[in-house]
Amino acid sequence: MSDFFTVYHHLFNTFLLGSGYALSQWVVMRAGVFSVATAGLASIGAYCAAILTTKLGWPHPLSILAGTLLGTLTGLLLSVPLARLRGVFQAIATLAFVQIVVAVGLFSDSLTGGAIGLNAIPILVGTKENLLALLCTIYVLLAIGATRVGRAFEAIRQDEAVASSLGVSVTFHQSLAFGLSGAIAGLFGGLEAFQTFTLFPNTYGFGLIVAALSYVVLGGRRSVAGPIVGTAILLILPEVSRPLADYRNALYGVIMMLVIAFMPRGIVDTGLLYLRRRRLAAKAAAESRQ
Amino acid sequence: MTTTTLSVENVTAAYSGIHALRGVSLSVSEGEFVALIGPNGAGKSTLLNCLSGVVRATGGSIKFNGAELVGTAPWNVSRKGLLQVPEGRQILANLSVRENLELGATALSGRKSAYTLERIQSLFPILAERREQRAGSLSGGQQQMLAIGRALMGGPRLLLLDEPSLGLAPVIVVQVFDALRALNAEGLTILLVEQNARQALNSTDRAYVIEQGRVVHEGDSETLAKDPTVIAHYLGQAKATH
Repeated sequence: MSDFFTVYHHLFNTFLLGSGYALSQWVVMRAGVFSVATAGLASIGAYCAAILTTKLGWPHPLSILAGTLLGTLTGLLLSVPLARLRGVFQAIATLAFVQIVVAVGLFSDSLTGGAIGLNAIPILVGTKENLLALLCTIYVLLAIGATRVGRAFEAIRQDEAVASSLGVSVTFHQSLAFGLSGAIAGLFGGLEAFQTFTLFPNTYGFGLIVAALSYVVLGGRRSVAGPIVGTAILLILPEVSRPLADYRNALYGVIMMLVIAFMPRGIVDTGLLYLRRRRLAAKAAAESRQ
Repeated sequence: MTTTTLSVENVTAAYSGIHALRGVSLSVSEGEFVALIGPNGAGKSTLLNCLSGVVRATGGSIKFNGAELVGTAPWNVSRKGLLQVPEGRQILANLSVRENLELGATALSGRKSAYTLERIQSLFPILAERREQRAGSLSGGQQQMLAIGRALMGGPRLLLLDEPSLGLAPVIVVQVFDALRALNAEGLTILLVEQNARQALNSTDRAYVIEQGRVVHEGDSETLAKDPTVIAHYLGQAKATH
């Protein structure tokens, strides 16, 4: 078992971080926002945490907290101009935001190290911290889902006009979702900074956008378990079938197309729906026998 | 002198150059049950959407209990007690019946509702029976009752209904209208948009006929139901030959 863990602990950490980014992506989509800002928000969290510790000598837990807060704040600020946009326009605007963050990372050499990267970040975070952060995030998201805010998200995602006819403020709840998304992305970005030794602006570019979106679409957009299952499948698949690892991106593409065409709800939500239908059918059968 | 709950004056609305409303004026007094009838595309739904704030009126004034509504965010309109039962019911299929009803209380935001969960469940007993079921598993008529119940949870001072008979079996339509009449008898002010003109005129006190973005007839529902032009245009030949 311990051997197994030594071999795979890196993969497990990648999974934990990936799940964090997936949940950051999930929470905005849950509130009906088509944002891809997660990558940029994660970059802000990661760079903020790394810079505070390497340049100012802050203790790393404090730096990670600062990264989380800066991510939250950026998410909230971002929600102000985005409140006027909808659907694919939101996606394009957030894509531009991610590109801006990448560009700033590349050009402000003195602060971020530019394209060479921000080096010599101490390795201070491991599986334990990642796992703790993921569990806390899941707990918070589940708790929110059970409240009126969770139902308001559901209403907005279904139809904004209906949500506002119920007195649900679309602007407020979408800002809240952006803030949450920024907090989660900032937190996991900060954690990642202290386990990779080097940060490159492009780590948080188009690749992460596609990855985070794929995790959510594959796993499912409704339940909290969806993005985590999606991450697990997409990260573990290329590892268990080594020959495919080189074609990871092609594999992602094929899986995404198949899922969107045949299982638009994603794996977890489709599974839950199937179980519920079976339970109802069994109940109906039992009733008709009586 | 009864108090005016809603007063719409010369409201215009346009989508990308098409004038959907060309100056509509109407008013609803407290305790009234008013219908808005007219053909497809006349602007009935646009007017309701202007009232609820989803579509912004390009001109005119909408006063609700004396306060101007034009320019108010739609969720703030609901919070003032102008609640809409949207076209096609639009219940949240993935939430339970109880959760749907509880969500309706968001619009209260501190106000008190005359309609408690218990009262709504006694008005529509099926909602109590199916309380923990997914709203999506209800039949069309039950979903319409849930949509009305959900709006009642928000403490309406004026209830707007957009085509409540849409897609429902005739026997269910009668049930829905009976429930609305009962609510009105208890004092609820209702403004109804309906294509089923006969059903609407049979149930309401007053009606407006809207055509091409203008009010073309108005009056007591009973009088309008006997008006030859209204009969010819909206009630069909069956009624005209009586």
